[in-house]
Amino acid sequence: MKGDNIKKFFIYFFLALGAIVMVFPFYWMISGALKTAAEYNSYPPVWVPSNWLNFDNFVRAFQKAPFQTYFLNSLLVTLCSVTLTGIVTILGAFAFSRLRFPGRELIFSFLLAFMMVPFEMMVITNYQTVTKMGIINTIPVLIVPFTTSIFYTYILKNFFDTIPDSLYYSARIDGASNWKYLWRIMVPIAKPSLVTIMLLNAISSWNSFLWTSMVINSDKYRTIPLGLFAFMTEGGSDPKLQLAASTVSVLPMIILFLFARKYIVNGVARGGLKG
Amino acid sequence: MTAKKKKKREGGEFNNGLEPVIYLLPFVIGLLIFTVYPIINVVLMSFKEGYRLSGSFTGIGLKNYTQVLGDKNFANAVRNTFIYVFSVVPIATVLAVIIANLLNQKIKAMALFQTAYFLPMVTSSIAVGLSWRYMFNTQFGVINWLLGVFGAGPIDWLGATGGQAPYNIFVIIIFGIWNMLPFTIILLLSGLQNIDPMYYTAAKVDGADSGMIFRRITVPLLLPTIFLTMIINMISSFKVYNEVIPFWSGKAGALSNNLYTMVYYIKETFYSKLRLGNAAAASIVLFLIIFVFTMLQKWVQKKFDY
Amino acid sequence: MQVRIEHLTKKFGDAVAVSDFSMNFDDGKLVALLGPSGCGKSTTLNMLSGILPVTSGKIYFDDDDVTNTPPQDRGVGICFQNYALYPHMSVLENIAFPLEIKKVPKEERLAKAREMAKLVHVDMLLDRKPKELSGGQQQRVAIARALIKTPRLLLLDEPLSNLDARLRLEMREEIRRIQQETGVTTIFVTHDQEEAMSICDKIVLMKDGYLQQEDKPQTLYDDPHNLFVANFLGNPPINNLYGTIQNGRFVLEDGSASIKIDNPNAKEGEKVVMGIRAESVTISKSGDHDFEAVIKQRYTMGKEELAFLNIGNQVIRVYLSSDYTYDVGEKVFLNLRQKGVFLFDQETGERI
Repeated sequence: MKGDNIKKFFIYFFLALGAIVMVFPFYWMISGALKTAAEYNSYPPVWVPSNWLNFDNFVRAFQKAPFQTYFLNSLLVTLCSVTLTGIVTILGAFAFSRLRFPGRELIFSFLLAFMMVPFEMMVITNYQTVTKMGIINTIPVLIVPFTTSIFYTYILKNFFDTIPDSLYYSARIDGASNWKYLWRIMVPIAKPSLVTIMLLNAISSWNSFLWTSMVINSDKYRTIPLGLFAFMTEGGSDPKLQLAASTVSVLPMIILFLFARKYIVNGVARGGLKG
Repeated sequence: MTAKKKKKREGGEFNNGLEPVIYLLPFVIGLLIFTVYPIINVVLMSFKEGYRLSGSFTGIGLKNYTQVLGDKNFANAVRNTFIYVFSVVPIATVLAVIIANLLNQKIKAMALFQTAYFLPMVTSSIAVGLSWRYMFNTQFGVINWLLGVFGAGPIDWLGATGGQAPYNIFVIIIFGIWNMLPFTIILLLSGLQNIDPMYYTAAKVDGADSGMIFRRITVPLLLPTIFLTMIINMISSFKVYNEVIPFWSGKAGALSNNLYTMVYYIKETFYSKLRLGNAAAASIVLFLIIFVFTMLQKWVQKKFDY
Repeated sequence: MQVRIEHLTKKFGDAVAVSDFSMNFDDGKLVALLGPSGCGKSTTLNMLSGILPVTSGKIYFDDDDVTNTPPQDRGVGICFQNYALYPHMSVLENIAFPLEIKKVPKEERLAKAREMAKLVHVDMLLDRKPKELSGGQQQRVAIARALIKTPRLLLLDEPLSNLDARLRLEMREEIRRIQQETGVTTIFVTHDQEEAMSICDKIVLMKDGYLQQEDKPQTLYDDPHNLFVANFLGNPPINNLYGTIQNGRFVLEDGSASIKIDNPNAKEGEKVVMGIRAESVTISKSGDHDFEAVIKQRYTMGKEELAFLNIGNQVIRVYLSSDYTYDVGEKVFLNLRQKGVFLFDQETGERI
């Protein structure tokens, strides 16, 4: 029993140590954002800001750059993207899982092959395409190219496949149309999978940078990561303000994670190895 | 399994006429415009010489490839990318194996630990990278302070000491490991939880101690998951880009070009230099590297029946 | 409603699942489609429901040709082997779902659903989710859901096979009760002969896509048309003795014994199988007898005792009479009753 206690101690000790390392950058970000100039510039570092309610840095960051605009843009892009991609994915996954049409298996195996092509390879052409479409440097350019996701469709199709055929037959015999069956039976049953997909989509949409940095060049359409990047290059060099801005930008995702940790973790665990 | 499923479905579908088209239309339109066409186009583009944004080009040939492969910035980008991939992935994997095993014990406050370890997965590299940037600060950074406590350093992490910037790559490697850990731990943890506890019971009955159990049971049974996780992480790390951005305000290292990665190179060549053909060729090279690892992944998945 | 199928055939590619199947299902009866797995019984059921299109042949519901009618317009209710309850809906919602699709007003459909729940005895479980129910309860809910739209025809696909032995007994009587209370024409698919025998008005026995025989359960048992039917029905299974017809007698293969037969159709020299029900054999220690046999093994089964006997080099299963005690290895005498003894052609399996 004594050996057990020592073992327990070491487990907790190392776990706690690791946890501190993992969380420290977040702590340093938030605490840095709350420090006064004197606190921030002192060395050795001041570990705890004297006033946890010192929001000066936030106020000044927001005065220097329109972070509220960036924030709203990000929110808009994320919500639209999650909704649109969600609908397109549900419809596509349903067709591939439930409906029969010629070439279904062939098309699906092509999709799996496309999945390994990195988005970075398509960036050049997509840039030309959105330019031609005239949506470059608008909000839709951040949403439209991502409405079709093979990966999410693949995950959802796999889940749809696990729903027994007999449910479909039952519903159809009772007179339900495909449409009714999809929304009244399949989607409610697939809710956990769907929520996971939407969360993963929201995270990647909120954090998207490479594409955004190419297709958005006016301040009023910048999203949070892009605004933050612009702020660090154009907005002056006060680290405290940058940290305040960073804090604002990661906060929504942290809150989302605290509420939906299980969905996100399960989703990654299930989808990760297949993707 | 799949054969059985297919057989069961045979003929068991209703005649839906043209209905599938309605369901597939949005998906297929997006797919054709933003996936299929770009893939075909980038291959063609890579053979078009003097290709411009407008679509005009001067000839067809391998010039883009010879130019890219002869470009020392590209060579540098490939080198950096490989160094990054082959240091970040192994180190992150080893750390993740240890942490996943600790998290797999019966412990209290699991939610708290999970939150701490998995949080970096949801936050933007740009934003948290900023915090790391100031942690790496040579004079005031908390990392050099910590090294100082142990009598080491200070290290010029972000700067260009004497016209060289030897430590720059360590910055993105450390940051990369931290970024990669959550995803890796989650996959390994789920791999661990899939191991039948019966094996542990049997080994304990046979008198194996915990070190023995770890080496002879846990690790071998987890090995397929470890392999697969490493390959997936490699594939994603070959696309390293966001991790470089926050530390030098968008530049590739303290010397502006010493930390080129492959994706960074592609973006610069395309977006800043407008050499689309070169960028296309470079992205084909990136794809080929990723393709090799994807095949490796499929092979492992098949071999271990994932 | 009467169901009539004519020359019904279903092919999957080259494989024939159901072949030229014709018969009538009478109004208000409970009929079992019985057969081993792969015999085409489920395929037939799926064609009746409309889930599967037919390859050729016709299906009539009374006088309506429904061969090409979509499933939702046929007025059938169906229960699947796995019950197919919607996991996210409560019992009440599940039962009411078919009416929800028909856009029946909420109050009305819930009232009807409660009534159905009462019929199948799940009215105390209305707010539960399917996964909170036992297998038997799920089965009841599935039946209620199939019945709520007052179908012309109720189809049950292996309704009892996911239940444990005790529940199976209970549910099969429930199915009988519900069917008789509602009077709905019911067809149910099963591979379990006992299940079919115990509750059905009629059994349709199939094999390899072909109809073997359709009759009342007792008729099927007492008067099988071929060896397959005789072998498939009954527990313990019917005994098969192999032999030939010689001089109006059935002679065992090894020639060790023979019995006079009274069958004008038996041709001299024909190779035949004699099917003998276990209960058609009386056993004694002395007196006139048809066969001599040696007791090989005995099994006590509670109320009766079963024994394996050797007749020549063939084995036969009989009930031991409780008047005597028998030892393993003991020689005994067997007499055959008239009833429950059949002759079949060895080659075709047809009854002689």
